Amino acid sequence: MGTVGKAIPHDSALGHVTGEALYIDDIPFAKNELIVEFFGSPVAHGKIKSLNLQKARQVEGVAGLYTFQDIPGHNIFGSILADEFFLAEELCEYFGQPIVIIAAENRKAAKQAKKLIQITMDEYPPVLTIEKALEKKQFLGVKREIKRGHLQKALDEADHILEGSFFSNGQEQFYLESQAAIAYPGENNEMTIHSSSQNPSEIQQIVAEGLGIGLHEVVSVCKRMGGAFGGKETQTAIPAFMAALVAFHTKRPARVVYTKDDDMKITGKRHPYQTRYKVAFTRQGKITGLKADFYSNGGAAADLSTAIMERTLLHADNAYFLPNVELSGTVCKTNFPPNTAFRGFGGPQGMAVIENILEEIAIFLKKDAFDLRTLNCYGIEENNITPYGQIVSHSILPTLFENLAESSQYKARYAEVVSFNQRSKTHLRGMAMTPMKFGISFTTKFLNQGNALVNIYKDGTIQVSTGGTEMGQGLNIKIRQIVADEFGIDLENIKLMPTSTEKNNNTSPTAASAGTDLNGMAALDACQKIRKGLVRFASQHFASREEGIFPSPDCIHLENGIVYDERRPEFTLEFKELVMLAYQAQVNLGARGFYKTPGIDFNRETGKGSPFFYFTTGCSVAEVTIDRFTGDLRIERCDLLMDIGESINPGIDIGQLEGGFIQGVGWVTGEELRYQENGELLSFSPTTYKIPNIQDLPRVFNVNTIKNPHHHINVRRSKAVGEPPLMLCLSVWAAVKNALSYVSGNQIPKLNIPASNEEILKRLTQAADSSVPFGSEENEIPLISTLNTKI
Amino acid sequence: MRDYVLLYINGKRHQISGERVFQPLSDFLRYDQEMVGTKVVCAEGDCGACSALLGRAGDGTLNYQVFNTCIAYVFQLDCRHVVTVEGLKGHNGLHPVQQAMIEHFGSQCGYCTPGFVVAMAALFEKRHDLTEQAVRDGLTGNLCRCTGYQAIINATLSIKPDTVETMAERFPALPMLDAFDQHSQSSVLIEYPESIQGKTIMKRSFIPSSVQEAVLLKKQHPDAVLIAGGTDISVQMNKEKIDPQTVIILPDTPELRVLELDQENLKIGAKVRWSELEIFCKDKLPELHKILKVFASDQIKNCATMAGNIANASPIADSLPFLFVVNAEIELTGIQNKRWVEINRFFHGYKNTDIQAEEVITQIRIPLPKPEQFLKLYKVSKRRDLDISTFTAAILVEMVDDQMIKDIRIAYGGVAPVVLRLAKTEAFLKNKTFDLENMRTAGKLAREEIAPISDVRASRDYRLRLSETTLEKFFHEVSQTE
Ligand SMILES: Cc1cc2nc3c(=O)[nH]c(=O)nc-3n(C[C@H](O)[C@H](O)[C@H](O)COP(=O)(O)OP(=O)(O)OC[C@H]3O[C@@H](n4cnc5c(N)ncnc54)[C@H](O)[C@@H]3O)c2cc1C
Ligand code: FES
Ligand code: FES
Repeated sequence: MGTVGKAIPHDSALGHVTGEALYIDDIPFAKNELIVEFFGSPVAHGKIKSLNLQKARQVEGVAGLYTFQDIPGHNIFGSILADEFFLAEELCEYFGQPIVIIAAENRKAAKQAKKLIQITMDEYPPVLTIEKALEKKQFLGVKREIKRGHLQKALDEADHILEGSFFSNGQEQFYLESQAAIAYPGENNEMTIHSSSQNPSEIQQIVAEGLGIGLHEVVSVCKRMGGAFGGKETQTAIPAFMAALVAFHTKRPARVVYTKDDDMKITGKRHPYQTRYKVAFTRQGKITGLKADFYSNGGAAADLSTAIMERTLLHADNAYFLPNVELSGTVCKTNFPPNTAFRGFGGPQGMAVIENILEEIAIFLKKDAFDLRTLNCYGIEENNITPYGQIVSHSILPTLFENLAESSQYKARYAEVVSFNQRSKTHLRGMAMTPMKFGISFTTKFLNQGNALVNIYKDGTIQVSTGGTEMGQGLNIKIRQIVADEFGIDLENIKLMPTSTEKNNNTSPTAASAGTDLNGMAALDACQKIRKGLVRFASQHFASREEGIFPSPDCIHLENGIVYDERRPEFTLEFKELVMLAYQAQVNLGARGFYKTPGIDFNRETGKGSPFFYFTTGCSVAEVTIDRFTGDLRIERCDLLMDIGESINPGIDIGQLEGGFIQGVGWVTGEELRYQENGELLSFSPTTYKIPNIQDLPRVFNVNTIKNPHHHINVRRSKAVGEPPLMLCLSVWAAVKNALSYVSGNQIPKLNIPASNEEILKRLTQAADSSVPFGSEENEIPLISTLNTKI
Repeated sequence: MRDYVLLYINGKRHQISGERVFQPLSDFLRYDQEMVGTKVVCAEGDCGACSALLGRAGDGTLNYQVFNTCIAYVFQLDCRHVVTVEGLKGHNGLHPVQQAMIEHFGSQCGYCTPGFVVAMAALFEKRHDLTEQAVRDGLTGNLCRCTGYQAIINATLSIKPDTVETMAERFPALPMLDAFDQHSQSSVLIEYPESIQGKTIMKRSFIPSSVQEAVLLKKQHPDAVLIAGGTDISVQMNKEKIDPQTVIILPDTPELRVLELDQENLKIGAKVRWSELEIFCKDKLPELHKILKVFASDQIKNCATMAGNIANASPIADSLPFLFVVNAEIELTGIQNKRWVEINRFFHGYKNTDIQAEEVITQIRIPLPKPEQFLKLYKVSKRRDLDISTFTAAILVEMVDDQMIKDIRIAYGGVAPVVLRLAKTEAFLKNKTFDLENMRTAGKLAREEIAPISDVRASRDYRLRLSETTLEKFFHEVSQTE
């Protein structure tokens, strides 16, 4: 009778609904705490000519102003390549890039000081688009490639070839809690920093390096985040450092909380991608060769861009067998804030391209794209090796297609869509089913490790600490469930502690969907160590020479809060009694667990290897209606079917599926980042940046999971679930493209991501107006030249 | 003259004066009262994280509605009772919406959750049964980035309305009503000296008790900002676009609260809130009702007014095209007299109206479309709900024999610095057959009458295109081809 497999509410659900759950800015102010603000670059690209802080310093209530010259350690940091500055020195490379940190007694003074900072700049033309960066040959990291087979031969022998380019725009994470941190200075150089970060170990490191102190002098803590989605994997570094620097200089606690506007303007987002592709296929629609060159808009510094591009290449196949491929990935350096992780981590951009291609082949061959997708899908016994050489093992992809087609009545509804489009003069319908196969593990091998600390107290209650952070995904409750079952006790006896580098060292970011996999396994390892000692002790306790029962740990059971020897089940101890006795008998009641993912490796130079422990897969079918006169898009129905192994907590996991999917829907439909020509973000708040709203939820939304009998690995045979469902959103986008195909005559309609109302109407107009060649595509989102706020 | 705001929070009485009234309620709650359950994300009314319940006196009790505390300044909240997430727990423990959210996995990161539970609680104040659509409508003002909303809908639908303890039951209304009664007789003036860079100015907030007093104050303080619902003004203050020295809160007098239909005219007082009008016009003006369904959110509509929408003079204010085609009239009240201005003559340019320094809008009079007239209203926005328009349109047509256009009025918003009547297009269509070809030609003409720009919401091209296609869409809708 365990807890694993049960839908148990989120660890903090009670705190959430009562408002008692505390986030960074909810922590009561310390008596002498300072407010931290910053002053950022007024241009996207330029050199500081002069900076005058005189007036700002005189504002009553200002406690200090700091520039890069006040940084005692390094001013430079970066997770992969160290190329980013905490504070701009001379060159400013994106709009709003922090230059001066302001510390003040109150918000008013901080704001006032900010207004009084005087700066002059030598302004340079900003490079904002991929196109421009390519022209100027501005790159971050090196170009990566994955190749297999003989592409040229495939192209030469192809029945058909299609080529084109495809643009997907960026996406703002839009976590509700903006970036925030509080630093508490301690004795000597000690610094404790609480931040809303997915990566406390990295915060510890950048704070130590920036302040020029040892990592052992910094404690980095994160209790919970109000959402993160990848946006707090690296992007918390700058705000956390701001607070730390102020605390370091003033010896007073210091708090920084970005406004939503500032957060959206100056933190990195999902990368915009431009891709050129050429695909060879047979008359039947089987893909025989693919060449795809991916270019991402990396922003001004490397951040995680190269790793993200790597994942793009590793997901360019999505669920399809591509015998001959040449993939390349190049990260362009531009004058935007460094783009960064966002749920899917480059995977969505890779998959979007192949899904676009499949939709185009279908339109070209006048076939139902569904048939082409199943035709090209990875097989079970054959056609099951990815371009980088990993076997797609334990797969149930064909079954997913089949089952979902049936449960969603795909064929019948598809026929109805076709006939609707013949009837209606005012609306168009579209429908598409897309699969998703997402590789689980960090592609940087060494990150695939986790450690955990489990302490049992004398009353039988337990504290668990891991390097995993709670951002809403339900990591804490899942780990509690795992620990509870190991000791056969109630969940109430187990507490998940705030993530702290004091308890868990050198931890990886909670990312790559691997939070539960790594930390759950590490916790399990710790539990098993303690359990071993406890069970040995229990076996001695229950043994009886007279009865001929000798100590045998194998016969000890921990269940329902009770401990017994199966040979004498009438003698029992409560778990807490056992713990007390064990304590008195000097048994170790704490342990540290460790886990590293076995058997994975990848050579990024050759583009070969088996980087993933396993794949999470799924399928989704979407039906949409568009208004022919406005481009207005309505999602009528979506059916999702996912293989997530044996769910540790189905309540939590269904939430991940629904939430991830809708987040993806935002990316492919309504979320549109718009910039001014000077590189300043215009859509910097929810007034103009529209994430899905409750009304955008499909009218019919069926979310289901499927059993995968072949999956036997990973913690309690579960599968990672965080990122994968996001990519099912491509069904919605493909359905729009499908809808457009009914009015595009003999041409293949183009469609960018996002398929906003405006984008859709533009494509409809192209369809109606034969003078505009339908494929004509101005690629990247145009930059707005005149700014006019009207309301 | 009283020099404080009387505000109850979760049943507790507060008299707030001086500088403390010059801040959004959300800041007052979080930083003055250390009630941090209420979250602030956007500070501009667009996310709902800061939602609370606003109790106003009416019909001998307090009626509670959801609102955004980030765009309600304390000086607007005199004689109100606010219930925050901290006040939701009732005599029997958690409020049913809180319990349901836990059980249905309605929270993930939890940051939106306090706002959601408050908005959900508001849905049950009347103890009505709810349809799924009603739940969606009621929660339009709350964004969640984690859950995808399904779990929140499930949670809400799982609640039996008759098991809910309403706020009026939870917080005895009588003592508060008494206090409000005693207080609402007197006008309020709250002042505090603010010094910035060595200069001191006196900040003032007036709550007059009559229109006459408001008008006089406006004359005495020519640069004072008048506030009705404050949903436009507060955003500008939060974003530091304006920093008014003096504000005048328009009081809820009976005159300003008029909402009635007399024969052919709908009369709407300047302090009638959008949510009241939405209910009122449901059967009487279904087209307007349709637009109000996608107008902002309940949080906004429970505070904002039509008069504010008009006076704000934005070219993308959703009410304007409608008011333009029905030739609505605006009542302006000055110190000596009242006058009526027809809306088509009310706007002189971008953000420039006919309102004189010592005048306020007191009423809007709307002639209802006649049975032989056909009215259609359109709103195009990036997101269908809770979004500012990209493009708006109103078309009113009168036909002879179902096919000849006798008269047509067309107004477009979002295509120029002011809402436009399309005189040439109208003239072209007059006495023409109502068919697709004529409407298409009219579309080409419409394109020429407007001068849209590209901005953050859309490109000029998109707006030009919409100005054409809308007439086609209208044709199909009127002739009821699918
Ligand atoms: C999140 C959000 C969503 C919104 N969505 C929409 C939308 O969908 N459609 C839309 O059209 N608008 C929208 N708005 C804008 C706004 O809510 C409306 O314009 C609303 O009707 C304004 O009314 P109010 O009473 O709040 O105005 P206030 O903010 O109180 O005032 C607005 C202006 O009008 C003046 N004013 C107010 N009353 C009078 C009067 N009686 N006489 C003279 N001057 C007066 C004020 O001085 C001020 O200049 C939205 C705003 C927000 C914050
Ligand atoms: S904080 Fe977003 S609506 Fe108030
Ligand atoms: S639960 Fe995270 S935003 Fe709603």
